[in-house]
Amino acid sequence: MTELNEIDLRGLTAGNKRVWDQFVAAAAPLINAVVRRALAPYRLGEDDVMDAAQDVFVRLCASDFRLIKGYDPSRAGISTWLAVVARSAAIDHMRRRRQVADSIDDVPEAALAIEDRHVEKLKIPQGLLTDRQTLMLRLLYDEDRDVTEVAELLKIDAQTVRSTHHKALLRLREHFKIDST
Amino acid sequence: MSTERIPMTDQELWRSLAMDGRAVSDPISDNDLAAWLEGRLAPAAAARVDAVLASDPVQRAAAMELSEILAMPLPVAPVRLAVRAQALVGFEAERMPATRPGFFASWFATGRRQAVRAAAMGTAAAILAVSGFVMGGGLGESYAQQKQITVVSNTDTSNELTDLFSDGNVI
Repeated sequence: MTELNEIDLRGLTAGNKRVWDQFVAAAAPLINAVVRRALAPYRLGEDDVMDAAQDVFVRLCASDFRLIKGYDPSRAGISTWLAVVARSAAIDHMRRRRQVADSIDDVPEAALAIEDRHVEKLKIPQGLLTDRQTLMLRLLYDEDRDVTEVAELLKIDAQTVRSTHHKALLRLREHFKIDST
Repeated sequence: MSTERIPMTDQELWRSLAMDGRAVSDPISDNDLAAWLEGRLAPAAAARVDAVLASDPVQRAAAMELSEILAMPLPVAPVRLAVRAQALVGFEAERMPATRPGFFASWFATGRRQAVRAAAMGTAAAILAVSGFVMGGGLGESYAQQKQITVVSNTDTSNELTDLFSDGNVI
């Protein structure tokens, strides 16, 4: 089977049937996995998940393969790009499909969560932390991710995560005059 | 008034703080997010994506999810997914060459397809009709049969008349 990164993109966007079939065979496992994961919180039936996955392929070949023509191979591999597109398409498919009035049980908990505001929090002034430091702290503490997961996401080594984390907290403690335990 | 500072763990410290409320809601393009996921964005562009993800928990969770999927071995997709998807593109979807079509090629252009189909069906119908007629013997045999029927019926009529008059029955 042809790998995704071996697909002839020119033939694909020209509508070559054989290349399209090769592309589908290579892309189906990734699109299937991405769509299932994206729609897992909605607890859909198998047919609905398959419809969402099919919708991804429909979007890819629609309007003379406009989406695929927009892919820039110099910026990222096609698998990564395809995963991003597939996830967006799956969420869009879900949004179009949803009824106006949804049962609260059908809404993922993350969408229902509200911030606990009854405790006054100190505001972190803009510019105190870099965006990368803020993102890292959110992943580590708000998302409860471990150092390895954050390193994998940010494509850096674990030691860099620890170092960035340490520097960020030093800045916060110095600014707010808060000692560590 | 006590000036004792209460020590906090790192997690307690973070959870006691809030960002200043600025939310970065600029949409991230598919190409940008894909490049960011691979660690290939230029620093300035990466910082912009960092800012969006830092302020938006939904996009942050999406990025995390994609990163996990791309790092794992993928399960086999259901066969019907590939079958249905492959059917989306047919052979006629392949682009015609951008040259002026010839006389016969123009008949097969998209706009003439219906006329060609109608002509083909009419030809097929004509062939069927002719084949059936020939199998039935054709015009010559048909005429011969008709003539024989006429002769037989005339002979019968003549015999009836002869019998009529021979019996002395005149009406």
